[in-house]
Amino acid sequence: MSKSFFIDTTLCTACRACQVACKQWHDLPAEKTTNRGSFQNPADLSFETYKLVRFNEQVIDGKLNWLFFPDQCRHCYEAPCLEVADDPTAIFKDPATGAVIFTANTKNLDADEIIDSCPYNIPRKAKDGTLAKCDMCLDRVQNGQVPACVKTCPTGAMHFGESDEMLSLAKQRLAQVKGKFPKATLLDSDFVQTIYLTAHDPELYSKYAIASVTNKGIIAPMLTRQEALQKMFKPFIAAAKELV
Amino acid sequence: MGSNAAENHPISFKYVTEAQQNGAKMINVDPRFTRTSTRADIYASLRSGTDIAVLGGMIKYILENKLYNKEYVSAYTNAGFLVNKKFKFDDGKFSGFDAEKRKYDKSTWGFQLDKNKVPKIDRTLKKRNSVFSLLKKHYKKYDTKIVSKITGTSEKDLIEIYKTYAATGARGKAGTIMYAMGWTQHTVGVQNIRCMAMIQLLLGNMGVAGGGVNALRGESNVQGSTDQCLLWHILPGYLKIPKASNTDLTAYNNKCTPKSNDPLSANWWANTPKYSVSLLKSYFGEKAQKSNDFGYSWLPKVDDGKDYSWFTIFDNMYRGDVEGLFAWGMNPACSGANSLKTRKAMENLDWMVNVNLFDNETGSFWKGPGVTPSKVKTEVFMLPACVSVEKEGSITNSGRWMQWRYQGPKPLGNSLSDGDIIIKLGNELKKAYAKDGAFPEPIRNLKWDYLTHDEYDPHKVAKEINGYFTKDVTVKGKLCKKGTLVPSFAWLQADGSTSSANWLYCNSYTEKGNMSARRSKKDAENKIGLYPEFAWCWPVNRRIIYNRASVDAQGIPWDKKDWVVKFAGKQENGKYVSKKWLGDVPDGGWYPLENPDGTQRKDAKYAFIMRKHGHAQIFGPGRADGPFPAHYEPIETPVAKNLLYPKQLQNPVAVTYSTDSDKYAKSTSKYKIVCSTYRVSEHWQTGLMTRPQEWLMEMQPQVFVEMSEELAKQKGIKNGERVVVESIRAELECTAIVTKRFKPFKIDGKIVHQVGVPWHFGWRWPDSSKDASVKEDSANLLTPSAGDPNTRIPETKAFLVNVRKM
Amino acid sequence: MQVTRRKFIKISGATAAGLAVSSLGFSLKDARAHTQMLKTKYAKETTTICCYCAVGCGAIVHTSKKGDGRVINIEGDPDHVINRGSLCSKGAALSQLTENENRLTEPMYRAPYSKEWKTVSWDWALGKIAKRVKATRDKAFTLKNAKGQVVNRVTNIVSVGSSAMDNEECWTYQALMRSLGLVYLEHQARI
Repeated sequence: MSKSFFIDTTLCTACRACQVACKQWHDLPAEKTTNRGSFQNPADLSFETYKLVRFNEQVIDGKLNWLFFPDQCRHCYEAPCLEVADDPTAIFKDPATGAVIFTANTKNLDADEIIDSCPYNIPRKAKDGTLAKCDMCLDRVQNGQVPACVKTCPTGAMHFGESDEMLSLAKQRLAQVKGKFPKATLLDSDFVQTIYLTAHDPELYSKYAIASVTNKGIIAPMLTRQEALQKMFKPFIAAAKELV
Repeated sequence: MGSNAAENHPISFKYVTEAQQNGAKMINVDPRFTRTSTRADIYASLRSGTDIAVLGGMIKYILENKLYNKEYVSAYTNAGFLVNKKFKFDDGKFSGFDAEKRKYDKSTWGFQLDKNKVPKIDRTLKKRNSVFSLLKKHYKKYDTKIVSKITGTSEKDLIEIYKTYAATGARGKAGTIMYAMGWTQHTVGVQNIRCMAMIQLLLGNMGVAGGGVNALRGESNVQGSTDQCLLWHILPGYLKIPKASNTDLTAYNNKCTPKSNDPLSANWWANTPKYSVSLLKSYFGEKAQKSNDFGYSWLPKVDDGKDYSWFTIFDNMYRGDVEGLFAWGMNPACSGANSLKTRKAMENLDWMVNVNLFDNETGSFWKGPGVTPSKVKTEVFMLPACVSVEKEGSITNSGRWMQWRYQGPKPLGNSLSDGDIIIKLGNELKKAYAKDGAFPEPIRNLKWDYLTHDEYDPHKVAKEINGYFTKDVTVKGKLCKKGTLVPSFAWLQADGSTSSANWLYCNSYTEKGNMSARRSKKDAENKIGLYPEFAWCWPVNRRIIYNRASVDAQGIPWDKKDWVVKFAGKQENGKYVSKKWLGDVPDGGWYPLENPDGTQRKDAKYAFIMRKHGHAQIFGPGRADGPFPAHYEPIETPVAKNLLYPKQLQNPVAVTYSTDSDKYAKSTSKYKIVCSTYRVSEHWQTGLMTRPQEWLMEMQPQVFVEMSEELAKQKGIKNGERVVVESIRAELECTAIVTKRFKPFKIDGKIVHQVGVPWHFGWRWPDSSKDASVKEDSANLLTPSAGDPNTRIPETKAFLVNVRKM
Repeated sequence: MQVTRRKFIKISGATAAGLAVSSLGFSLKDARAHTQMLKTKYAKETTTICCYCAVGCGAIVHTSKKGDGRVINIEGDPDHVINRGSLCSKGAALSQLTENENRLTEPMYRAPYSKEWKTVSWDWALGKIAKRVKATRDKAFTLKNAKGQVVNRVTNIVSVGSSAMDNEECWTYQALMRSLGLVYLEHQARI
């Protein structure tokens, strides 16, 4: 059994409670920021920011949309970062939940190589090279609670639970919103434990919303996205399905 | 409309999204595309300050397409009342206008009365002088073409909004409105809300599940603090403030108690003397006796016809008439409109007491931007209050739920709860007046026994608010022992045998315990989310007020599925023979107006029990600016002419002030851009409880001005650069957010731009004294001292500015 | 470094990088095999209602039972029928409102024309305030208005605030102010 997030961006209002709840639970400091002409702040994920709501104004079919994307680690079934690191004292997968966990030993890894390996551009490094990202609030999950971001979400955009249940919930929601948003889609849902539902083309939300064929290092540029994913995850898909 | 719930009341939005998933449609009308707009089924923009044009157009649409609930309108509202024949509305003014005093003589706004002084009612709504006929006439001009020219909203959008919302007038359907300061902070603020209330009445949406007119209140206990009446014009429980002409308690009670000769009108305020005497018993305890008018003379009196509100306070202070200020849990240097005037006014004070969690722009005004400390005489006492989780007590939310909270950690350092500070200050004052002093009686006689082990005890005050029997009495055939808690306000007496510091809260803390601390998640039998045993709700735990309007004249719910109350008394031969209501606590347990056979009952009461005549007011003769809302331009408007009333540009009785700091820009000045202040999700009010917090500052670190791409291009402004927003009163440096979410308006053929600035910022946090590059300050530096004539709430949602590069 | 199990949990909860497994002297096997302990496990739990907007959301406050007795965590109350465990960004930051180095912890006094604050005691501050109130009130107390009507009021002292107070505090406050004779008594509802 593994655990998954399901993030329904069609219900997100970008209140950013998740962003704060994450910092609160992890006792993470705030970053010194300035207003850069956007509500999105901090500008990006960082060693001290595991969860970030991305804001994008997009005109789609002549209609203004303000798209919100609560970005975080996808906890891939077979995580490239883990494979690249090849050091279970630095990056390991919690067998009970499937959470991909970074430890302080990530300091000994080649940080840039790990960051490059992530198709979703999630890990961030400290000055000393230690890496950090969402840890699925493993302590909470192990004690029967949901991650802090899910707990605090007011609108029902964030969900957490058994991976198969989350996937079926995601599919159910997808079917519900298809009428209103014909282009709605689940992002890489067979490969990750953080399933996003977007109403529009995922790239309008975030450059790294889906594992990209252009993403350096991992995937050959000639492959289609689906092929690339297949290749990326190939050796592990069978195992992953067993976990589910 | 008038709110941005997704950002400013995020958890309320939980239920909006849930309703949408159940098929509800959400309409959002806002000058700016907000986080709320992103979830709207229909979004339309309007120019700030033109809501009545939009809503008036909706009234016209509802009336002309006959989409109102006729049975509801006829039975429960004053639509059928016949109005004084001399009542008129010409050239944008109601009858009785006194141009010199800028006030209305309201004598022609009344109703035609029969020989018993009961209003004449035409339930067919057809007579020429009926409210309903006058309403049709009043909004006849509000067609979509003219509304669109005024508001900048397209006719297509208007029609879609009208059609969608008016559909909630069907039986079994409901529509609701969530409004906030976007409606109140205008010189037509009260009429904005009245206009929506009228729509809700026409559609039969008051008192029903999923209906109502919902004020999304901004402070956790602004409902409770209003109920306890920290306001100049009311005493706890919304009793009127005594006026100089109310020379004794009898005169006060006579003047403040409405009288109705209609046997079908409950006229609940007829109970006023019971509540006023019980309040005096709570103020002065044993010292309040019948022989001394229960201490009525110890209460201060206001002069008849004079205003004592916020604006006037700081106007007096600016003029040098105020020596001492208590700024308790409040930051007026940033929160009031025209902040420069407020800040300058403070320099005239001899002393100030400032109670807060953090140092702030008010307490430290003497070292604020442009102020030289060595020139400021004011003594300031800054007292540290503790945080809410460090103390015990109750607060009341927007839905009137009184909820108890408990102490987690002890107060940090030497901070104290507000309650402890108040009690200790009271003790000092009582000591100071023990021997001498001017008119010491009220201070000496004030009941002040709220300590347990030398500490303020919120339970003791909560019980006092509920009220006690002050002697053994038999009420309703039941012996009530002295010193026991009064079960509900129906037991209160006008003879001094009961105390109750706030009659509306009588029933909140009884011999059964502290009702506000209840936690049962069990819903009522109607399963509409009332949760009657979770916390407590005033009055008498009634969760939906006016709920008797949710049923027809025979007590049968309009909505059979999601009903609020229903009559379940026994019937024999077509007549009801016993009384029983199911569901919510009904608005009075009387029989319905009609028997099942359609005959009228004489022992019934009209649904709107707090109104003198028992009917909701589509025609509201009590307002300062007219019984029907009319569109007026803001005091600072970009247009030269009111298209609906060419001879009356603005609200003729809007409030303005006249010191050298009270300047108002005309449409012909260089200030041509409409500006509105607002809030963001990540901050709160003046920011005093969010700016010292780094997690929140990280997300919204600086004051900004949002503007359209078109305006930015015209002004040569780039996204993210610092710019200056200037009004006729002040300048404010802001970061520009150039966005597609603001669009220029086409107003009567001309382009009008609008910008917006959040008002959460100030110079103290982030600390500008430590870093010269920090130049954050309050958007209220820009706003005018112009106010609604009923409430004097400032017009901070629509005023004029210019924007320029640094 | 001697690291107890409890300290280990605290560090793991507090460090950005997560578990410093080997350096803490635990084998990786241990860290993975044992369930981590919640930082709130031994805390006192109290319920509260959020102090920001007026929706009235419930939250649970976790206060340390040991040491300084301060707040460890505040999160949404799942048993509250309004918010059902959720909180917005401000509510989610409640712990930082409470545990905040910027808070005022001592009464302070600024003398006329002074450039700075001085820390004072409660007794001194409240005694002084009572003196100021009395002097100001008594010199201009109005028994009758221009028309000769009894008014028994004070107009040179005014008060603003506060909806940040509890109901019981609001009631007590207005009672005290009205006993002094204040008629200029306003708060947030007016703006």
